[in-house]
Amino acid sequence: MNIWQVLSSTWNMEPWVLISALFLLIGYGIATGFKFTKLSALFVSGIALYVFALVSPLDYLGRTYLFSAHMIQHILLLLIVPLLLLLAIPEKLAKKALSVEPFGSIMKVLGHPLIAWFLGVGAMWVWHLPSLHDMVLANDNLYIAQQISFVLIGMIFWWPVFAPVESRRLSPLTSTLYLSSACLGCTILGMLITFAGAGLYAAYMTPVDTMGILPLLRGELCLTPGVDQQIGGLTMWVPGCLIYLTASMVTLARWYSTEENYEISTTHYKEIKNFE
Amino acid sequence: MSKIPLVPENTKPLPALGENQGMLSWVASVDHKQIGIMYLISTMVFFVIGGLEALVIRMQLAKPEFDFVSPEVYNQMFTMHGTTMIFFVVMPFLIGLGVYLVPLMIGARDMAFPRLNALSFWLVVFGGILLYYSFLTQSGPSEVGWFAYAPLSEKPFSLNKGPTYWALGLLATGISSVASGLNNIVTILTMRTKGMTMRRLPLFVWMILVTSFLLIFVIPIIASAFAMMLLDRLLDATFFTPAHGGSAILWQHFFWGFGHPEVYILVLPAFGIISEVIPVFSRKPIYGYEFVAGSTVAIGLLSMGVWAHHMFAVGLGNVANLYFSLASMLIAIPTGIKVLNWVATMWGGKIWFATPMLFATAFIIEFVLGGLTGVAIASVPIDWVATDTYFIVAHFHYVLFGGSLFAIFAGVYYWFPKFTGRMMSERLGKWHFWLTVIGFNMTFFIQHFLGLMGMPRRTYTYHDFPYWGSMNLLSTIGAFVLAISVLIFIWNIRRSLKHGEKAPDNPWNAWTLEWATSSPPAVHNFDLVPPVRGRRPLWDLEHPDNPDEPNAKIVL
Repeated sequence: MNIWQVLSSTWNMEPWVLISALFLLIGYGIATGFKFTKLSALFVSGIALYVFALVSPLDYLGRTYLFSAHMIQHILLLLIVPLLLLLAIPEKLAKKALSVEPFGSIMKVLGHPLIAWFLGVGAMWVWHLPSLHDMVLANDNLYIAQQISFVLIGMIFWWPVFAPVESRRLSPLTSTLYLSSACLGCTILGMLITFAGAGLYAAYMTPVDTMGILPLLRGELCLTPGVDQQIGGLTMWVPGCLIYLTASMVTLARWYSTEENYEISTTHYKEIKNFE
Repeated sequence: MSKIPLVPENTKPLPALGENQGMLSWVASVDHKQIGIMYLISTMVFFVIGGLEALVIRMQLAKPEFDFVSPEVYNQMFTMHGTTMIFFVVMPFLIGLGVYLVPLMIGARDMAFPRLNALSFWLVVFGGILLYYSFLTQSGPSEVGWFAYAPLSEKPFSLNKGPTYWALGLLATGISSVASGLNNIVTILTMRTKGMTMRRLPLFVWMILVTSFLLIFVIPIIASAFAMMLLDRLLDATFFTPAHGGSAILWQHFFWGFGHPEVYILVLPAFGIISEVIPVFSRKPIYGYEFVAGSTVAIGLLSMGVWAHHMFAVGLGNVANLYFSLASMLIAIPTGIKVLNWVATMWGGKIWFATPMLFATAFIIEFVLGGLTGVAIASVPIDWVATDTYFIVAHFHYVLFGGSLFAIFAGVYYWFPKFTGRMMSERLGKWHFWLTVIGFNMTFFIQHFLGLMGMPRRTYTYHDFPYWGSMNLLSTIGAFVLAISVLIFIWNIRRSLKHGEKAPDNPWNAWTLEWATSSPPAVHNFDLVPPVRGRRPLWDLEHPDNPDEPNAKIVL
């Protein structure tokens, strides 16, 4: 088997992925009236990435052979897919939803920056505890729960920065602090994984080679367990951080593009006028 | 001019500085301007010391197989030169300039924590004394380089007291840096005058803000590494000794985890100076304020994730090298944006080449050269060839001398009238400038070639290979030209202090708030702070019909 054969034969059309994607698409369509807009394009691309991450070879390889494939999938599902989905929610719809109890109060709690931050960074840290990760790989139901939790927690994490309702967002400079500290959290974990030395996750050390591609991966592609784990750690660290950084730049750009008002007391205003 | 009082006096007055108490009024001062001046003076002293050490290095390298000094002394000199220039010249100078200017630029009375400010300054002095005290010990100062790689800096390889003093001195300055970082952040976030929104902040203040965040994030890394090194040296811990289960590479990670952001700590405030000087002397507002400010944030964040490019030769593995190489190259983008903005600001402007502008223009050219070699050695194969050669020495001197120090000179010429109430001599300034440009390029440009020809850095002497002797001699002559230029600079300061032309409040016709007060500013900074309705308050004041932000809304 060569690499292209591996990549073309490891697509895995899991029904739960397709059903949940369809369900989300129809739900979004009903809520927004099946119109093609910029927002709906974002939503569709978010769903497309979601499906891609879970049915493509990333999923199969990440669950069996390669930690690095798992990490790419993880970054897609925790950072990119939720961001696209969140950005696709129209403001009106979000306002309506937030006025419905208990959803409004739940989002008030979950969307609190401290809680959202700890959930977002915590999801990375906790799910990558070596023993837990090995357990997830061995248990299909737990695996599905993990993937869904990535997307949900990802949306909660992005909420304080990109909430569809402006009043729920942090100020631009606080957002930058929120994102850069999260970047630090993800950097430290990436660093730990990168420099830990091979074998942090036992499952990838000696995978059950059902497809017979281990010699290909280890030999021809040089993806030894050590290299594989380094790629994984570095993917979380460098591109992962760049996502936070890009988001910070977007919040700054948004800030600069709004009009600026500043408050001044009536007496000061009179004083300025007097001196002119 | 219309001015309104906006600065509330403290309810409990700060300890006052008496007019005629001599030195005591300085030593006991908590006034940000006096502390700022003291920062600048002490960095000048360290600059001269560090410069003399550089001259010893260049003398030793003037010809092949020379023995001007002993190998031990040579090692001490390059260690102390690097340490002094980084920690006791460029860093405290930029922090001190911030201490002096930030409250004035944002229309505040003083820093948020004046006493902490004084503590920060005196800790730098204390750290410097500790570092230089090692000259008085039997075995002399540290000989292990400014990076103090383990296990060389550990027992049993360095049994002298030098590295201990080195770590103690730098630990003191580290505490000082974190304190001034916090002080700056609180001052900038809470003490701006009415109308001085974050989007109207002078760019120098923006850069100081980002630098301060870098300080409080990365200085703790190196401070804890110093503490671990001291534990290793004094209490027989083994954090960095592989023979006892420690890790020598760990020191490198700590050191460069701090060391790379440190480069941006040294250069971001310099960007700030340039971003103030260039618009004023081009008679145009800065081009793309938002991009200059935003790219600073990007540089700050990126700088914390790329340190391993200092360690390409360590053997982290191809994958790690590849990622860090890519991330390092990315920093060129926000930096390039800044250079573009400065050039675009000058484009079509009415450029006035007074000394500050000369230095600022030279800064752009020299810094871009340093930046370009930086992008080159971010590529792993090139780094493997160039690492630990004089190519690297040339690269970082283009960044830190051609970059930071040129900006510092620009800043001194620009703000000297404000600090002292007197102008510096333009004639001497031009002499200083041209000698600096000639001396600097003569010293360091040739080192690129020496490096590519294989001359290793940090080595005592070299064999008489073809051209090495003459190229090194040229470099040494350049160093002495630089020394003359520095003497002219010091002479200019001294002469101008006594006989300089009296400076008006706003000699350069600049636009930021520090020029609205008298030169030198009164103890309380402002009688009246002008209203701020745009990024250039003094422009708005003079041109009420043509303000920068005609649509700025005032919400009552």
